[in-house]
Amino acid sequence: MIHKVGTQYAIYTGVFINQVIPKGGNHMFGIIVGTHGRFAEELVKSCEMICGEQKNVRAVTLVPGEGPDDVVKKYEAAIAELDCEGGVLFLNDLFGGSPYNAACRLVMTNEKYGIVTGVNLPMLIEMASTQLMGGDADIKELMEKAVAAGKNGTQTFHSSQIQEDEEDDL
Amino acid sequence: MNIVLARIDDRLIHGQVATVWSKATNCQRIIVCDDEVANDKIRATLLKQVAPAGMKSHVVTLDKAIRVYNNPKYANDRCLLLFTNPSSVLYLVEHGVDIKSVNIGGMSFHEGKKQVTSAVSVDAKDIDAFKKLNEKGIELEIRKVDSDKKVMMMDVLNKL
Repeated sequence: MIHKVGTQYAIYTGVFINQVIPKGGNHMFGIIVGTHGRFAEELVKSCEMICGEQKNVRAVTLVPGEGPDDVVKKYEAAIAELDCEGGVLFLNDLFGGSPYNAACRLVMTNEKYGIVTGVNLPMLIEMASTQLMGGDADIKELMEKAVAAGKNGTQTFHSSQIQEDEEDDL
Repeated sequence: MNIVLARIDDRLIHGQVATVWSKATNCQRIIVCDDEVANDKIRATLLKQVAPAGMKSHVVTLDKAIRVYNNPKYANDRCLLLFTNPSSVLYLVEHGVDIKSVNIGGMSFHEGKKQVTSAVSVDAKDIDAFKKLNEKGIELEIRKVDSDKKVMMMDVLNKL
């Protein structure tokens, strides 16, 4: 299924357009989150809880009984709906999984497309905010930025890590 | 101090603030201004751990916030001020802190409060503080994130 937030877009469109259209060049890139099961849909919803409605992001899911061919079709339908003039960034859950393999088929024939695997919420948020800032997209730069955000989103916390640096106090 | 955003959000530093507002405002410091939180050692310690990369987060009492505001050492610092309620904002304003606009992001519902939007609930004390801030010509706008359309607090309150 292709995730669509649907009619609510209309309410936001006016505001969003002002934000999205940047000064100068505007080759918007599309974001497609492709995963095993409904993870992608929920991840996009989680992202929207934090960043607000996402107009140029689609979730594509592979549900039990479907294969890579079905996913390719869903990707193509998503691309048709999105503004992808600047390219398409696929964010997949598993390297080597079916959603990834299906994305590879499309990415092989278009140099403006790219894939990053291991998608997580920090990565998606970073890409959604990059998209919102507008400007011409460079797919390779976006991919690097996505990887960095995904990695930086993985942090640890344990009571032994608490440090009272009073010098930093105002 | 250059106040890039004054926000009321009783979740304080959380997803919307850490990822969206900190970037949108390009702030250097996030300062939580609240007596109760500043005196709660565990909450204050945890808040200091969650500053987004490249930023510092601080938790101060209202009086300390006023002192920091007036300290020339921080004159050029881009600061995002976080409050849990409008009375704290009013206290700062009444003590000379120049706040021109207040963003209301989240005020959770408790017994005795009235929910006015999906994210904002107010009690009589809050309403009183908002009215006083409004009388001082301060903009009071409700937005969760910066791409949302501004909803004016006074319009919402006037409909109550």
